[in-house]
Amino acid sequence: MEQAQLMFAATGALIFVFGLVAGLRDDSLLGRIIAINISGVGLFLLLVALAYRGLCQAADPIPHALVLTGIVVAVAASGLAIAIGRKLDELRNSSHRREGDSS
Amino acid sequence: MMLWWVVDLTLCALMIALAAGSLFAATLRRRVIFFIAFGLLTAIVWARLQAPDLALAEAAIGAGLTGALLLAALPTAQPTEHKRDADRLIEWVSLLLAALLAVVLIAVLTTLLPVVDGDPSLAVTARLSDAGVSHPVTAVLLNFRAWDTLLELAVLLCATIGVLNLAPARKAPRHAGALADTLIRILLPLLILTAGYLLWNGAFAPGGAFQAGAVLAAATVVLHLGGGVRLPPFSLAQLRGLLALGLLLFLSVGLVQLAFGQALLQYPLAWAGSLILLIETGATLSIATMLSLVYLGGHPLRDWPVAGDSRDREI
Amino acid sequence: MSSLLVLIATLPLMTALACLLHPRGGDQLSLVASMIQLVASVLLVTELPSRSSLSHALGGWAPGLGIALGADPLAGWLVLLCALVQFATTLYARFYFCDSQARYRLWPLWWLLASALYALLLSGDLFNLYVTLELLGLSAAALCTVGAAKAEALEAALRYLLLGLIGSLLYLAGVALVYAEYGTLDVSALRTLISSSPASLASLVLLSSGLMIKCALVPLHFWLPAAHSSAPAPVSAVLSALVVKVAFYLLLRLWFELFTPVVTSAFATLIGLLGAIAVIWGSWQAFRATRLKLLAAYSTLSQMGYLFMFVPIVMALPEGDTRQFAYGALLLLAVSHGIAKAALFMGIGSLQQHLGHDEIDRLGGSARKLPVTLFAISLAGVALVGLPPSGAFLAKWALISSSLVSGQWWWMLVTLVGTLLAAAYLVRVLGAAFAPTAAAEPALPTCRLALQQPALLLAVLATFGLGFAASPVWDTLSLSPPEVQR
Repeated sequence: MEQAQLMFAATGALIFVFGLVAGLRDDSLLGRIIAINISGVGLFLLLVALAYRGLCQAADPIPHALVLTGIVVAVAASGLAIAIGRKLDELRNSSHRREGDSS
Repeated sequence: MMLWWVVDLTLCALMIALAAGSLFAATLRRRVIFFIAFGLLTAIVWARLQAPDLALAEAAIGAGLTGALLLAALPTAQPTEHKRDADRLIEWVSLLLAALLAVVLIAVLTTLLPVVDGDPSLAVTARLSDAGVSHPVTAVLLNFRAWDTLLELAVLLCATIGVLNLAPARKAPRHAGALADTLIRILLPLLILTAGYLLWNGAFAPGGAFQAGAVLAAATVVLHLGGGVRLPPFSLAQLRGLLALGLLLFLSVGLVQLAFGQALLQYPLAWAGSLILLIETGATLSIATMLSLVYLGGHPLRDWPVAGDSRDREI
Repeated sequence: MSSLLVLIATLPLMTALACLLHPRGGDQLSLVASMIQLVASVLLVTELPSRSSLSHALGGWAPGLGIALGADPLAGWLVLLCALVQFATTLYARFYFCDSQARYRLWPLWWLLASALYALLLSGDLFNLYVTLELLGLSAAALCTVGAAKAEALEAALRYLLLGLIGSLLYLAGVALVYAEYGTLDVSALRTLISSSPASLASLVLLSSGLMIKCALVPLHFWLPAAHSSAPAPVSAVLSALVVKVAFYLLLRLWFELFTPVVTSAFATLIGLLGAIAVIWGSWQAFRATRLKLLAAYSTLSQMGYLFMFVPIVMALPEGDTRQFAYGALLLLAVSHGIAKAALFMGIGSLQQHLGHDEIDRLGGSARKLPVTLFAISLAGVALVGLPPSGAFLAKWALISSSLVSGQWWWMLVTLVGTLLAAAYLVRVLGAAFAPTAAAEPALPTCRLALQQPALLLAVLATFGLGFAASPVWDTLSLSPPEVQR
């Protein structure tokens, strides 16, 4: 059981850290959102792996509830970020068009 | 044991590979596809780690809705600019740094094993009989840690209002054709049925408001992608009501108990099961509305939140 | 009296829902709710000295299984700060957004942000704090976009949102490690459990770095100037006065109460050093800023720097009365900055609405047109620089003498330079505003009087109120050393 816990938790930690760094470094909005989501899943994997108690025993339910909360928060935040990005594109395009008209 | 070891190793390797793909693939489109595959694999991993609630939620929300959201945002996304050499260098340095951090974090993790359980008198299983539902995760979400869930609904509401404030909804794609219509006609009732089943199931088995709401929202996604069928025509006032419903029910049920000298969100034992079902039903409707609107990227009518002088215009 | 806690935690949520369901009544609802909240927080603060802490177990479950709401004097005073600033900015926002449609969009988000603030201050559970942080980040970013017509404002909001998410993830990682090691999320239980270990150190670093992004401590500050300077003025006021403060409040809790066995003096000195850099750099950037709002945003950076810089001073003091005294001074500094900064942003907002811009070089003649606003800005400036009789003066004085007592005199030099720079940038603004009109400005409608009053109210409070009534803050804090709370 400990072996599985460690293996999944380590995988989670790896994905968490790399996602986080990519989220800071990425230069496209969509790329950033993907990276932050990936990083979040890595963290959730860490939590759930540490809640695992072997095949014959039920896992600790509290981290599961926490992760469920986290999944919903992540989709909400991604949706808001995409909406802001869309509005931003709209504004930029309209200002480009205005510049194009005046020149 | 050996067999499980091989299975776990394969799952972990696949997770890392798909994560790497969605972080570093050359084009955004590929990254989104990798991300969706990563989400589906994650659902399998949750099932492996005995977290069926998460498997359901991940498949519906993580991979499904987020994936649909990203796919829909793809056409307008700016193409990535070509990287200069200096940027490349910074990239390598940051990756090296990340590797270092990951090693440290994993080293710390090894000191944590074996994981200790908390105070046994505070364990969820010890008090499950007083919770009104027999499924531990639902008990945590709607009874023991109901305040978290209430605030989480507020987070979702906040994002939805933010989205609605910003823009009218994306235009529906072209009509997908008669075959898709038939498919939708079969799929839609099934999705609604599944949502109801998940909601009811939450009391004693994996499922609950979030999974049910996400499946209902998936029905909206299917309708929207089909392009041929209209979304249900809600007025602005009805929509605002649907958005507020879940949180309002949750909060009112919690506050009513104060009048009887109980704590906030304390349900009387005899009523706990039915009250939780009531809250979950309201929450499912709100969650479905909110996730649908977040996916649509706004409201199909103009002039959110109050219709102005111009007549409501449907897109 | 624990029903007071329930009221403070749930009223903003109910107001948000009411404003959503009934947009046209939003103005009145918000005004009434902010008044009730103010009264409730005054009651809370007056109630606390006799009890030193209050708690309410949500759902009737023991904390650890369930979640407890709680308030001690530290939380109580910050609740009062929030209620006060919220009250003034609610009044202000009513008149700032002339377009009613913008206000319909504003109020639900405004109250969701308030819910996050109060829920965070009263929460006694590490994961619950994560949820409140996410609510705070999302609502703040969404508020930045209300009425935004410029691409820069949306860019800033987007960056604010994404960095907030990264900060929350770091925080959550810290929470995961704590839960794995100690098996509970309850703050009061963890207070006695946490001991020095590699995992505790790692979680301290993760929790602190996540929150430091939200506090904009150098070098994690880069998002703040753009976000705080391009949001609408009432939103900027709340962001600068409250949102960064509550993140700092959480850090204080972590460093002084939860992780005491893990926080070493080297760690504290590092934090103080980052704070000192923030003080100098922020003040310098504020001095060089060409726009008023940017100046105010950079000034927030430097003022947050002071709070961090004084942490090692407080920590070096021996446990007991002297330490409580310095801790009280730190809190007084935070409260006084919160109130003064809200006043400053509101004053700048009035100027901006009146002049149509906020460029410092073109302020000439504005003092004649808007005397009340300029008076408010000057008073807020007195409190920000830390001149007598403001509360900030007393706090800085107390902390500097403590630094001399503990032999850390070098912090005094930074304070001196920072104070001089702060005086310089405020004098620059006032000089420009009191200068005669350079060119004939187009005549604009005079700023409504109502728009000017909330700023004046807070500015007077920051300079005179907190100066003369500083002792209650100190007294209640020294009544209850953090170790014996709850």
